[in-house]
Amino acid sequence: MNDSRHVTIVMIEDDEGHARLIERNIRRAGIMNEIRHFADGGSALKYLHNDVNGPALNGPALVLLDLNLPDMSGTDILADIKSNEKLRRTPVVVLTTTDDKVEIQRCYDLGCNVYITKPVNYESFADAIRQLGLFLSVIQVPEPEAKA
Amino acid sequence: MAKLSDRTANALVLAAVVSGFLLLMGIGLAGIVVMERNLRFTELVAHTYEVQDAISEYRVLNERMETARRGYLLSANPRFSTVFEQMTTLAPAALQRIGDLTQDSPAQQARFARAKALAQDQISLAKASVANRQASAADFAEDRVVDDTRALRDLSQEMAKDEAAKLVQRNRERINSVEQLIVLVALGGLLTLGIAVGSLWVIWRYTRDLTRSRDELGRLNENLEDEVAARTVELSRANEEIQRFAYIVSHDLRSPLVNVMGFTSELEAAAKPLGALVERVETEAPELLHPDAKLAVTSDLPESLRFIRASTQKMDRLINAILRLSREGRRVLTPQRVDLNVLFATVVSSVKHRADELGVEIEIAPHLPVVVSDRLALEQIFSNLVENALKYLKPGRPGRIEIRAQPRGERVIVEVADNGRGIDPKDHSRIFDLFRRSGAQDQPGEGIGLAHARTLGYRLGATVTVDSTLDEGATFRVSLPASLTLEASAA
Repeated sequence: MNDSRHVTIVMIEDDEGHARLIERNIRRAGIMNEIRHFADGGSALKYLHNDVNGPALNGPALVLLDLNLPDMSGTDILADIKSNEKLRRTPVVVLTTTDDKVEIQRCYDLGCNVYITKPVNYESFADAIRQLGLFLSVIQVPEPEAKA
Repeated sequence: MAKLSDRTANALVLAAVVSGFLLLMGIGLAGIVVMERNLRFTELVAHTYEVQDAISEYRVLNERMETARRGYLLSANPRFSTVFEQMTTLAPAALQRIGDLTQDSPAQQARFARAKALAQDQISLAKASVANRQASAADFAEDRVVDDTRALRDLSQEMAKDEAAKLVQRNRERINSVEQLIVLVALGGLLTLGIAVGSLWVIWRYTRDLTRSRDELGRLNENLEDEVAARTVELSRANEEIQRFAYIVSHDLRSPLVNVMGFTSELEAAAKPLGALVERVETEAPELLHPDAKLAVTSDLPESLRFIRASTQKMDRLINAILRLSREGRRVLTPQRVDLNVLFATVVSSVKHRADELGVEIEIAPHLPVVVSDRLALEQIFSNLVENALKYLKPGRPGRIEIRAQPRGERVIVEVADNGRGIDPKDHSRIFDLFRRSGAQDQPGEGIGLAHARTLGYRLGATVTVDSTLDEGATFRVSLPASLTLEASAA
């Protein structure tokens, strides 16, 4: 059993405002884990695969993924993570504005662990993120393959 | 070759048929006339034979009388005298019969008169010669009876010749008239044949023109169908593009909206401790509090935040409406048998509670038709129409909604009619636009229902129209294909 405090939260979110609101509400839920924010898919993938502190080489991580990114589709990143030997056990929480049934099905088919639609209403949004924070505080994340 | 117009062709055929019939009638009449003439000639010929018969009879009697007289004069045998006596009565009678029969011929009558006179003279002389013989011996020296008899023989022969000539002539006339009949019939036959060929030709040409125009029409129709199909594909592509566009736009508008609403809330949260601080400063150190700062925190800030919040909420509703429309537009349609009776029962039961509260009577006409279409889309369209009818009542008039439907050709016309406040005709096209409404804005709503109904209708190949005057109620008419085929609405 590992200490969930070591788990890095990788937030892939193109909207700075959303990123800020998500971070604030996660902090308000009492989660003090490191949060790495990436505004585009390319740099996020680079971190996931190659960074020394990234989940592929080191320390457990949890991915918060937005589907609407400027350079690629979030589902491509999801497919990349779930088809990679070293990354596939990393939990992915899709956090996006889309509530399209087909899109949700597709994400679960690709191996997403949780799918959350961002409520437009801010109170609900804040609630959802805080609940996600509570969830993160109890979630177990597997150690990377290299260490296992 | 010039095309025959319908009227010319009809006139020509009619003329041909009429002239054909007239010709046949003419031939028939001519035939009757010729036959009658022929009959008359035949009678005349028979008459001539009769006359000839009478003449030869007289000639035989005349000869027998002379022979008997001669025999008696030679032998004085009373047997001859008896025959002679007989002949003197028989011969004049035979002669008289000739006279009776030839009353139509003046030449024969003249001969008859001469013969009659001769015969009287002959017989009186002959009788005298016979009486003389009874007294004395035969004496042929001065026998004038012989002359008379000879003259009568010649005369009767002449009459016979005359009759024979007549017979030849009448026979020739009879043959001529038969020949005329034959020529007439042959001519009539030829003419009839000509007319028949002519009308056949006209009919053939007319039929050929008809066939040609029918083929042309069929080809045009086929082209039209192709064109319609092409246009439909184009339209559904355009529709698809608009749906995608709407989806992307509304989706991308949502992201910044989340920020606006989120940070507004953060601002509100931040304003609370600020307000508390102002209150504390006001009570503990009023000299520190500038009136402008107090106004900003207690009044301006909350008011601004309230407006931002109201506007963003409205924007949120609009974006959600567009999203719902675009999602509905992207939904895969599944045509199935839909009994409109059942459908409307469902639609009406879902608004029954509200209708009862408002005292609105909803009547569904019996025996609505069955269509093949997308059930969900139809439910959505008719729910919107019925809900609108319930929403826009005329105050002070008990609401009444009538639902009826009837098949018309390959389509079904469904009507939702109300007696509500009606719609100004100048707004009839506007109300189908997104976010547009008509009349007093005293009912909640974003102006989406009818736009939604019409958009859905297009996907089903249906049109939604309105018929209404202000204050007089409104009738919404949905004309939908009785059987929805997916290629017609492959959106």
